[in-house]
Amino acid sequence: MNLSPVLKVENLQTRFKSVQRGKFVHAVDDVSIELFPGEIVGLVGESGCGKSTLGRSIVGLEKATAGRVLLDGVDLSTLSGAALRKSRRALQYVFQDPYSSLNDRQTVGEAIDEALIIDGLRDPTARERRTKELLDQVGLVSVVKDRHTRELSGGQRQRVAIARSLAVNPRVLICDEPVSALDLSIRAQVMNLFLRLQKDLGVACLFIAHDLALVRQAASRTYVMYLGKIVEHGPSQELYDHPSHPYAQMLLASAPEVDPRIEKSRRGPLMIGEIPSPTNPPSGCRFRTRCPLAVDACAQALPPAISLSADHDASCLLAAELHRGSRSALAIQAA
Amino acid sequence: MRNEPLLSVSNLTVNLLTAKSAVRPVDGVSYSVRQGECLAIVGESGSGKTVMNFAPLGLMPTGVTTMLSGSVKLEGRELIGLPEAEIQKLRGKSVGFIFQDPMSALNPVRRIGRQIAEMAELHLNMTPKAAEARALELVKLVGISDPAARLRQYPHELSGGLRQRVVIAIALAGEPKLLIADEPTTALDVTVQAQILRLLKDVQKRLNMAMVLITHDMGVVAGAADNIVVMYAARAAERGPVDTVLVNPRHPYTRGLINAIPRREDPVGAEFRGLPGLPPALAAPFKGCAFTPRCDMAVPACSLARPPLEQVDGNVFVACPVVNHGKVAA
Ligand SMILES: Nc1ncnc2c1ncn2[C@@H]1O[C@H](COP(=O)(O)OP(=O)(O)OP(=O)(O)O)[C@@H](O)[C@H]1O
Ligand SMILES: Nc1ncnc2c1ncn2[C@@H]1O[C@H](COP(=O)(O)OP(=O)(O)OP(=O)(O)O)[C@@H](O)[C@H]1O
Ligand SMILES: [Mg+2]
Ligand SMILES: [Mg+2]
Repeated sequence: MNLSPVLKVENLQTRFKSVQRGKFVHAVDDVSIELFPGEIVGLVGESGCGKSTLGRSIVGLEKATAGRVLLDGVDLSTLSGAALRKSRRALQYVFQDPYSSLNDRQTVGEAIDEALIIDGLRDPTARERRTKELLDQVGLVSVVKDRHTRELSGGQRQRVAIARSLAVNPRVLICDEPVSALDLSIRAQVMNLFLRLQKDLGVACLFIAHDLALVRQAASRTYVMYLGKIVEHGPSQELYDHPSHPYAQMLLASAPEVDPRIEKSRRGPLMIGEIPSPTNPPSGCRFRTRCPLAVDACAQALPPAISLSADHDASCLLAAELHRGSRSALAIQAA
Repeated sequence: MRNEPLLSVSNLTVNLLTAKSAVRPVDGVSYSVRQGECLAIVGESGSGKTVMNFAPLGLMPTGVTTMLSGSVKLEGRELIGLPEAEIQKLRGKSVGFIFQDPMSALNPVRRIGRQIAEMAELHLNMTPKAAEARALELVKLVGISDPAARLRQYPHELSGGLRQRVVIAIALAGEPKLLIADEPTTALDVTVQAQILRLLKDVQKRLNMAMVLITHDMGVVAGAADNIVVMYAARAAERGPVDTVLVNPRHPYTRGLINAIPRREDPVGAEFRGLPGLPPALAAPFKGCAFTPRCDMAVPACSLARPPLEQVDGNVFVACPVVNHGKVAA
């Protein structure tokens, strides 16, 4: 891709005060990612690994403790006042829960109108036109404009929430499990909406989800996160075909199949034990305490990102061998 | 007695009345679960899965009047019509629960150990001291490492997976014969999900419990359940052994659901397959099949009469005359 990224996150770190006095929760630790215009990028990883904190830190819902967020090359920390607010509006967050992210007492039209006013659109007729346009874009006929959001189905509500985020002409959407609360059958409608927004409006989208098959299909690239760090990144098809970090291998192999014959013949969960506490993360590679391939060197230093093929890299000393297929974290598990 | 199902639901109908609305989220549904067996319930959001399981046990929020008809038998004992005081005795004791909302399941300001012990005190009439010991046993049972230290922790100090293990420990505190788990792994990633499902299967086997598993993840069903009920708009569309229904789905809705699951061969960036249209509102019961407006096999007769659930082959039941008898007969 020879375009420049619309969003660039550099060495972002977000720490929370821990309940253990004087200690910190290292929720996001030295994460760098890029999003190009009109691209859907996946972010996957174990529950509690820091995906939401990363997303929230990017849009400013959480205060990063170090690192930079650049929008169109401009470091947000150098902005203030109206310029900062304008840039922040270009970064929108879509929440998992379409039930709590909308005000029940508002009609669909009011919810969108409010966002347009915040964006500084004063002319009521222009707002009305824009509302209709937005409802069209998300596939909700403008008839629903006067309905209260509480009268809508989950999928419709999620589309209203998306229309609201689009009202301010964002460059980037951070979507935090945007379809988890939706039905299988409505999920497809909302996913196709994301695909269309990307194509028609060029909105870039960071897509956080647990459903790996869904992420693979929607995202051109995927980041895999473990305990606050990105451990692997690559084009989705390549990464799903040749995962090269032991964690990524185990994560992808854990996705359940719909065929009961396959599922019932599984030997047991691949991943054993719990994710270590982000308050006291392991030294060196953070995955080493649960990695079937770990050696002494893994505890010494953080493994560097090893480049495997165009735009595909993994932070593991064995990444090249895992990528080639001469070793596998799964082979050891099965033995 | 061995062959008697532990839970036997027949022709269950639930009407909910609130100040503003009347809905029938469950309309004549039948199924049963035996000891040591796991039944999965899947279906659209709002199709009645949660209400169907919790309303007969008196677990509905305040502000709604629940009207039940049909029969729900637990170990041969009829629950419908039983006084609230009697039902209350079953809750948490004969029947353990894992609720859909993971946030409300644990009290954020009380230690894990206390929360588990309380359930044991309540349901097994234990002294606080005996209950503490029981809590320790339970956290070991659900596979929590360093159990003594964990008992002193607060919920927010635990990972999502550990928290769900604690929720399961609480559900098991009363030594239930039936466990109802409503979306127990929806908030978890696939590695933790695999661990939690394995744990549920293990304790189910060890305690010889019956389990009802509500989920919308067909992969979860495939790995964990023996039988499945597919719900659509308050009714059962299809019912049968998981090994048959998932491999050879018959009802057009079941087929649509399974078809909508992304597959490995789908190219990156390809359109997602779904079902056309929207699920219906449940305000008024339908005359015909509620799936008709979204069904590609529908014939005019489908919107006239409610399709009965008919046994096709083996133990599979399908509520679709077109599938069961062909277009002409329908
Ligand atoms: N406000 C906070 N204070 C202290 N710790 C926090 C706070 N918010 C999150 N954490 C911790 O930071 C870590 C990362 O949490 P986060 O919610 O970002 O994970 P996640 O990857 O989104 O998980 P999930 O998949 O379960 O949504 C967790 O250990 C969490 O407990
Ligand atoms: N307290 C209530 N008052 C009024 N109606 C209710 C109440 N609880 C549920 N309902 C209605 O009953 C129907 C069935 O709800 P239920 O929660 O059983 O659905 P579900 O199949 O569990 O859906 P989901 O997959 O979203 O959890 C819904 O249409 C819902 O609106
Ligand atoms: Mg999250
Ligand atoms: Mg439910």
